[in-house]
Amino acid sequence: MSDAGLLDLLLFLPVLGVALLLLLPRDSDDLTRRLTLAVTVVQFALAAWLYTRYDAATPGLQFETRVPWIAAWGVSYQIGLDGYNVLLVMLTAFLGPLVVAGAFTAITKDVKLFYAMVLLIQFAMMGTFLAQDLFLFYIFWETMLIPMFLLIGIWGGERRIYATIKFVLYTAFGSILMLAAVIYLVYSLQTTTGVTSFAFADLVKTRLPLDVQTWLLAAFALSFAIKVPMVPLHTWLPDAHVEAPTAGSVILAGVMLKMGTYGFMKLGFPLFPDATHLYTPLLMSLAVLSIVYGACLALVQDDIKKIIAYSSISHLGYVMLGLLCLDLVGIQGAVIQMVSHGLVAGGLFLMVGMIYERCHTRELAAYGGVAKILPVYSAFFMVLTLASVGLPTTSGFTGEFLVLLGAFKAAWVQYRLGDSLPLALAVVAVSGVVLGALYMLRFALTFLFGAAKAPHQPLRDLGLREKSILGLIVVAVFALGLFPGEPMHKTELAAKAYRQLVGTSRLPETKP
Amino acid sequence: MIGDAVLTAMLPEHLLLLGIVLILGLEIAGRGQRASLGIALLAVAAAAVAAASLSLSGYAAAPFAGQFSVDPASLMAKAMVMALVLPVLLMSRDEFEGGEFPALLLSSLYGVCLMQSADSFLTLFLGLELMSLPVYVLVLLAYRRPQSAEAALKYLVLGGTATAMFLMGASLLYGASGSMATATFAIGLESASGLARTAVVLVLLAFFLKGAIVPFHAWAPDAYEGASVPVTAYMATIVKAGVLLAVVRLFGHAKVASPMLELLALLPLVSIVWGNLAAMRQPSLRRMIAYSSIAHAGYLFYALLGDAAGRLQAVAFYLLAYGLLNLLAFAALPPAADDGERDRLDNLKGLFHRAPFAALMIGIAMLSLAGIPPLPGFVAKFLIFRNLVAAGHTAYAVLGLVGSYLGIYFYLRVIQFMFMSPDARVAPLAPAHRLALCATLACLAAALMIAVFPGWVLTRF
Repeated sequence: MSDAGLLDLLLFLPVLGVALLLLLPRDSDDLTRRLTLAVTVVQFALAAWLYTRYDAATPGLQFETRVPWIAAWGVSYQIGLDGYNVLLVMLTAFLGPLVVAGAFTAITKDVKLFYAMVLLIQFAMMGTFLAQDLFLFYIFWETMLIPMFLLIGIWGGERRIYATIKFVLYTAFGSILMLAAVIYLVYSLQTTTGVTSFAFADLVKTRLPLDVQTWLLAAFALSFAIKVPMVPLHTWLPDAHVEAPTAGSVILAGVMLKMGTYGFMKLGFPLFPDATHLYTPLLMSLAVLSIVYGACLALVQDDIKKIIAYSSISHLGYVMLGLLCLDLVGIQGAVIQMVSHGLVAGGLFLMVGMIYERCHTRELAAYGGVAKILPVYSAFFMVLTLASVGLPTTSGFTGEFLVLLGAFKAAWVQYRLGDSLPLALAVVAVSGVVLGALYMLRFALTFLFGAAKAPHQPLRDLGLREKSILGLIVVAVFALGLFPGEPMHKTELAAKAYRQLVGTSRLPETKP
Repeated sequence: MIGDAVLTAMLPEHLLLLGIVLILGLEIAGRGQRASLGIALLAVAAAAVAAASLSLSGYAAAPFAGQFSVDPASLMAKAMVMALVLPVLLMSRDEFEGGEFPALLLSSLYGVCLMQSADSFLTLFLGLELMSLPVYVLVLLAYRRPQSAEAALKYLVLGGTATAMFLMGASLLYGASGSMATATFAIGLESASGLARTAVVLVLLAFFLKGAIVPFHAWAPDAYEGASVPVTAYMATIVKAGVLLAVVRLFGHAKVASPMLELLALLPLVSIVWGNLAAMRQPSLRRMIAYSSIAHAGYLFYALLGDAAGRLQAVAFYLLAYGLLNLLAFAALPPAADDGERDRLDNLKGLFHRAPFAALMIGIAMLSLAGIPPLPGFVAKFLIFRNLVAAGHTAYAVLGLVGSYLGIYFYLRVIQFMFMSPDARVAPLAPAHRLALCATLACLAAALMIAVFPGWVLTRF
C-alpha cells in the first residue's frame, strides 16, 4: 500500500517542526507562531485523511509500522491505528492547531521555547496513543512529562512552581511503579511462553496467577488513575489546571487526561482480566465517587478555572464507569465521552483564557453580566456550557447517555443475578448529571447574566481568530452530538475486542 | 611470540605510556604548555581506537599469564573509559595550562586500564593505586581555595583506608586459597567458610569506599567540591567506571547468594535513598552531583545482584550513559572568573536567558540522570532493574525504583532554577571555550546515539 509511513509522518511531524523552529533566527516570534500553526494544521489534515481512510470493518491494526528496535529485548518500534485510538488520535490532531492559535496573543515571553514545548507534547501524546509496544508506550508516556513541566513552570500563574512540581512528582510516582510492573510482566511472559516481546498483541496472551495480576494491575492502575485523575488521586489536577497557561490547561484537559482512561482500556484491564473482575466493585465505586465528588467540588469553587478542572474529574468518572460496566454500548459511550470531554473542556478552558486576557482575573465573583458586554463570547460560552451539561444534540449528551445506558443495562443483569451494587452505583451516577447541570448553570448564570460588573474598561469582543477557534470546536461538538453513528462504528470492533479480552479469564492453565 | 602478544595486547596501555613520556619530556624541555594537551588528546584517542578495534576483531590474549589478560569485553571497556576521558581533556583547557594535568590524568587512566585486565590481586592492586594516587594530586591541583587542600587530604586518608581493607582482604583470600588469582574472589563469594567470606567482604568494602557507597561516602562531596570542574568530572565518571568495571570482572559468573546478597543489596539501597535525599539540599552543582553520584553508585552496585550473564552489559551501558551525561553537564557549565562561584546553583538562576544553549544542555543532562525517557539514562536504569527481576529479586527492584523516584526532584530543581527563576544577576558570561563546546557537542551526539540505538552498545559487551 502507498500508505506506508504516513502514520510515522503523522507522529514525527511535530519533531520536524521543532527542528525548523531551531533554525529560525532570534526575535522571529511571528514567524514562529505561524510556522507552528502550519505544522499542526498539516498534522491535522494528515490525521483527517487517515481517519477517512480507516476501515471500520477490518479488525486489528491499520497503517501499521513495525521495525525491530532493541532486538535482544524484543522491543520494536510498532505503531498503528485501531478502533481504540483512532478517535483519540483525531482529537489530539484537532486540538493541536487550536491550542497553537489560542496562544498567539497570550504568550509573549520565550515564544520559541513555548511552541517547541507544545510541539513536543503533541508528539508525545500522539506517540502514546499510536504505540503498540509497551516499551514505546512507556517512553512516550513519560516523555510528555517534561514539556508539560516547563509549560506550567515557565508560563504559568503565580504558584506555578508549586503546581508544576506537584504535577511531575505525582505522575512520576505512578510511572515508576508502572515501570516495575512492565518489567515484571515482560519477564513473566518470557518465562511462561518463551517469547520475549513488548508488543501489546503478545502481552495480552500472558497467563498470570490472580495475586500477580492483582499486584500488576495495582501498579498500572495507580499510574493511570493519577492521570485520569480518579478521586482520591486527583489533588494535583486543580493546581496544575489553575496555574497552567491556557494552552497547558487545554492540552491537559483535552488530551492528557484521556491518556489515563485510554491506558485502562488498552492495557490496564485487558492485561489483567481476572484481577479487574475481582476489583470491579472497588474501581466502579471510585469512578462514581469521582463523578459525584468532582461535581460537588465544582459547585463551590470561586475560581472559574477550578470549576472546569473539577468538572473534568466528574466527566472522566463517566468514562471509567463505561469501561468497567463491560457493556458494548457503555464502552463505546466511554470512548465518545473521552472525545466529547476533550472538545468541551478544551473549549471552555480556551474561553476562560480569552476572558482572562481581557480582565486579568479568574475570580467568579469579579464577573457578572458578561452577556451584555460580550454577546458573541457569551453565545459560544452558553453552547459549550450546555454541551458540558449534556444537552441533547451536543456531544456531551451522546457520551453520558450511552455510558449510563450501558451501566444500567449491565447493572440490571447483575441485579437479576443478586448483586445490587452496580445498580445502586448507576443510580448515584445519574445524580452526577443533575449536579453537573447545577454547577455549570450556576457558573453561567453568575458569569454571563447577573449584575453587570466585570469589565473594568470597555472590552473588545472576540476577534476573527478567536471566533474561528471556538467555531470549529462548536461544529465538532454538534457533529459528534448529531451524527455519533460514524465514529461509533469505527470503535465498534475495538469495543468488542476489549469486552472479549476483559471478559475472558486468563489464569494459568492447571495441568491435569 | 610472547613479545608480539605483549605489544598487541597492551597496545592501548603502550600508547598512553608514550603520551605520558612525551608530555613529561616536553615539560622538562620547558616547552610543554600548549602542546601537552594535544599530545594527551592524541594519545588517548589512539589508545581508544586501538582498544576498540582489537575488541571488534575478537582479540584475546594473556601476555603475562595469571597476571594480565585481555579479551574483547575488557578491551571494549577500556575503549569506553578512554573515550569518556576525551571530553574531560577538552574541557580542561581553561583550567590547566601546563603539562601536569594531562600527565597525571593519563597515569590515572593507565591504572584504570590495568584494572580491567588484572588476573591477580597484585595487578589489581597496582591498577587501583595507579588510578587513585594521581587523583589525590589532581584534586589538590586546583589549589586556589583552601577547601582543595582539605578535600585532597580527606580523600587521601580515606583512600588509604580502602587500600588497607583491600590488602587485608586479598591476603586473607590468599591465606584461604593459597592463590593470588582474582578468581579466588568469585569462589569466596559462593563459599561458606568464614575466612573466605571475611576476605570477600573486606575487598567489597574497599570497593564500596572507592565507589562512594553509604556509609563510606563522606569523602565524595568534599572531594568533588574541592576539585576543579574537569577533575570533578573525571572522578565522577572515569574513576567510578574503573572501579565498577573492575568489580564486575571480579564477580565473574558467580551467583550472589545470602548473606552476601543482603550486604550487596542493602548498602547500595541505602546509598540510593540517602544520596537522592541529601542531593536535594546542596548549594552547588558539584556537591549535588557528588550526592547524585552516590545514588548512582547505588544503582551500579545493585546491578551486581542481577543475572551473571547480563551484569557486564548493564553496568557498562549504565556507566556510558551516566558518564556521558555527567560530562555533558560539566562541559556545558558556563565559565566564570571564580571557580568556586561557577557552579553555585543560585548563580544558575535564569541561565536560560543568558546562555540558552548551556541551559538546554545542562537540562538534558539532568533529565537523563534522573532517568526520564527518552534519554539514555532511562534505558540504563531499565536494563539494571530488568536484570534484577530476571534474577528473581523483584522486591529489591521495586525498592530501588522507588528510591530512584526520590531523585527526580533535585534534578528538576536545577531545571527550575535555569528556566523558571528570574535572572540571578550579574556580569555577562564569558563565552564558553571552543574546546569545551566541542566536548559538549560530542557528549550530546554520543548520548543521542546511544539513546536511539542502545542495541549497538549492548551487543559489544
